[in-house]
Amino acid sequence: MQSVTPSSPEQQERKEIRFAHPSEEEFSHILDFYKIEWEYEPQTFPLAWDEEGNVTEAFTPDFYLRQQDLYVEITTLRQELVTKKNQKLRRLRELYPDIDIKLFYRRDFGRLLDKYGLSGERGGLIGQEALRKPYA
Amino acid sequence: MPDSDIVEVLFSEGQIQARIRELGAAISEDYAGRTPHLVGVLRGVVPFMADLVRTITIPLTLDFIAISRYGPSARTRGVVRFMKDLDEPIAGRHILFVEDVVDTGLTLNYILHTLQRRYPASLQVCTLLDRTIRRLVNDLPIAYSGFDLPDQFVVGYGLDYRQHYRNVPYVGILDPRIYLD
Repeated sequence: MQSVTPSSPEQQERKEIRFAHPSEEEFSHILDFYKIEWEYEPQTFPLAWDEEGNVTEAFTPDFYLRQQDLYVEITTLRQELVTKKNQKLRRLRELYPDIDIKLFYRRDFGRLLDKYGLSGERGGLIGQEALRKPYA
Repeated sequence: MPDSDIVEVLFSEGQIQARIRELGAAISEDYAGRTPHLVGVLRGVVPFMADLVRTITIPLTLDFIAISRYGPSARTRGVVRFMKDLDEPIAGRHILFVEDVVDTGLTLNYILHTLQRRYPASLQVCTLLDRTIRRLVNDLPIAYSGFDLPDQFVVGYGLDYRQHYRNVPYVGILDPRIYLD
């Protein structure tokens, strides 16, 4: 099994990625650990257009897992604030039915942290502390 | 006492044992004449493996592996590693990989890819619990599945929180105050 050395091309590429949220960076570490190939925000999907054909709304999922052909969106918003995101996701699935996308809500990501023994880091990754963190 | 930390029993001891008998009967029929080699990952699978093999009525062999898990220190260590590998080669053998729970599928996917490179004659999975709602890896060869698991933090029957509760004879939902404190 190969390990990624600090000077390897993969590690260098990772250092250049600016994650928008600490939970996304944590998720990328999980994927790396299990040797799942991923891309960060590789594609933007237009969701609405004006009369002139200009894109007025779009959605860029956080991760694309190449081997699984699966997009993953992580949201750390509280449940009552995810309505807009749910609407976007619904529209995405209507317009692009061949796209496979999974949404990890705050609760789902929290459970993932619990599973990996990272419950103590919830605040820094999905709590108020994470919202205050200057990221990207 | 472990029981006082569990807020709800999801699958009772009786339910688990009844389902295991069904799984064992199906495996005995499907693998007749092939002497399956059952492989499980320490430590969570131990109760399930012990009970499962005793319901299988055909000759079989078994082995265990142990792997590192993602956690606070793993972020600096890189990738998952085999802490204990198989004791015997599996080339040409019919492998039934036994899991206590399949969740995101990340761990199982990595293990199966590793085992597949050792040229088994066949490779399938038997899991007691299957949490499909959190799956990130599709097309896992799960041929046998005991129960579908809801999105709850469960312990018991081998499943742990910080190595505790494995000896609880049923599967139950852990009180969130235990792991959120």
